[in-house]
Amino acid sequence: MPATVDREAIAEQPNPLGLAGIEFVEYATSRPQALGQVLETLGFRPVARHRSREVLLYRQGTMNIVINAHDGARPSSVAPTETPVISAVAFRVRDAAAAYRRALERGAWAVPVQVEVMELHIPAIHGVGASRIYFVDRSDAFSIWDVDFVPIPTVDKHPPAIAGLHWFGLVQYIGSERMEDWCEFYRELFGFERLQDTQRFGILPKGHILRSPCGSFYWQLIEPEPGLVEAEGEESLQRVGLGTPDVPAAVAALRARGVSFVEAGELHTEARGALTVAQLGGLMFELVHQA
Amino acid sequence: MDTITLAGELSAKLAAMREAGFSQVMLKANDVVGHPGGLDAAVRLVRASGLRVTGFQVLRDFEGLSGHLHDYKVDIAKGMLEMAHALGAPLLLVCSSTSQHASTDLDAIARDLRKLAMLAVPRGIKIAYEGLSWGRTINEFTTAWDVVQRADVPNLGLGFDSYHALATKTALEGLELVDPAKIFLVQLADFMWQEIRTVEERISTARTFRVFPGEGVHSAQVAELVQRLAAMGYRGDYSFEVFNDDYQQLPLPLVAQRARRSAEWLGEQVLRRAVPLPGRMRLRR
Repeated sequence: MPATVDREAIAEQPNPLGLAGIEFVEYATSRPQALGQVLETLGFRPVARHRSREVLLYRQGTMNIVINAHDGARPSSVAPTETPVISAVAFRVRDAAAAYRRALERGAWAVPVQVEVMELHIPAIHGVGASRIYFVDRSDAFSIWDVDFVPIPTVDKHPPAIAGLHWFGLVQYIGSERMEDWCEFYRELFGFERLQDTQRFGILPKGHILRSPCGSFYWQLIEPEPGLVEAEGEESLQRVGLGTPDVPAAVAALRARGVSFVEAGELHTEARGALTVAQLGGLMFELVHQA
Repeated sequence: MDTITLAGELSAKLAAMREAGFSQVMLKANDVVGHPGGLDAAVRLVRASGLRVTGFQVLRDFEGLSGHLHDYKVDIAKGMLEMAHALGAPLLLVCSSTSQHASTDLDAIARDLRKLAMLAVPRGIKIAYEGLSWGRTINEFTTAWDVVQRADVPNLGLGFDSYHALATKTALEGLELVDPAKIFLVQLADFMWQEIRTVEERISTARTFRVFPGEGVHSAQVAELVQRLAAMGYRGDYSFEVFNDDYQQLPLPLVAQRARRSAEWLGEQVLRRAVPLPGRMRLRR
């Protein structure tokens, strides 16, 4: 074991994994085409398909979304359902192997890998519910997409973002009295930092917000409303947040493409943010003002 | 009450507890693993029983190991966390290590407990760390509390067992230093000896001859303990951790009735509360 012998004590780095944003978000669904249509209204374009599985890559600007309809043997994972669920988030890190080892040393659960020949072994740990967190260290010249995916012919591999849309972050629903546990989990394993409650984003100012150690995205934790404990569901990644420097412009552009936004009483489109109307049984996206 | 006190199989134990008016059950791993229908059937049984699961026990000799021993114990811990999760148990009880292979360094112990707590987060489980009175390094609740503080993680707290505190004669004043919100479980038991002189006697009494609170000769101390916990603001669960070879060969309803008398004694005479006994152990009848 790497001993705790006489070594010079070095203070913990603020970004221990060299985290540098989100490489992709993965949805699992048994209706990949329905989800694909929704993503296309939001400005994503299909750009590549997986070599061996029923998996598609959608892209917009800097954002990659993977649609996974592969109903393989995934013992600890859920089978794809009609309602798409966020089944994984991939973090860009300096060194995926080192990040993975460090997470395991601190109490993460390893996900057993199932790769086909000539495919990349992307290390993953269990996240909330049945979701996973991947570590990816190839995001520049020769990326994971170049290895495991085949480009769809003729399409632009780098479709531009509508109104500067980019990853703002993830929204995770948690059980009651679980806030401290989850804050500690993301701090201990990845170096996330909890923001002051005065710092707020978007139109759904609930729960607590954690900032990634690279500062480029956020993780919002939301507890159930008090008194609604009996309605408490499983903990899960509920939605993604898309950042934009101009929410009204983004809303106008997306409306023109057929996206509907929630406009009900207190919850409505503002300069701070907007929320899309749920589709496919609960799939929604949040827009958040972010320069 | 704890399944460990009763003989027989899980369904009979659950029925006896419910019949005696208990609303919670503290489960032990071999109740569910050894169930004739297997783990899944045991899980269904527990969920259908209507009893709230207080917790799941017990992970032993986890902390302070290194190399392959540590890796092995992490695997065992993961197996237990998965079982606890399947059963809907919100808590896993962990006993302090008795192993001669384990480090005595309190910071190493705290680091391992911290890792265990992290493993438990995605499964929604709290870890209650208990100082066994024959633990190698941690054998009193005061030192157990010390490492819980060193580990400093929200879902790791103290498991307090009255037997061990009484056996080691640890001054209950030590509780004044403990944050009541970080006591995750209190296990109560009494015993018949005035004094326990050797470690061997401590182990054998703990494993074969504990009795319910009020049945032994330390009733006054158990009562003092419960009153002290209530006064300091403990509002968590109590369970009866009564290992007793005699109770293992008596009919379940008879033993459950003794447990019920003990619970009544605690609720109505010791705490004399209008509100239910902490942990809603108030009896229905």
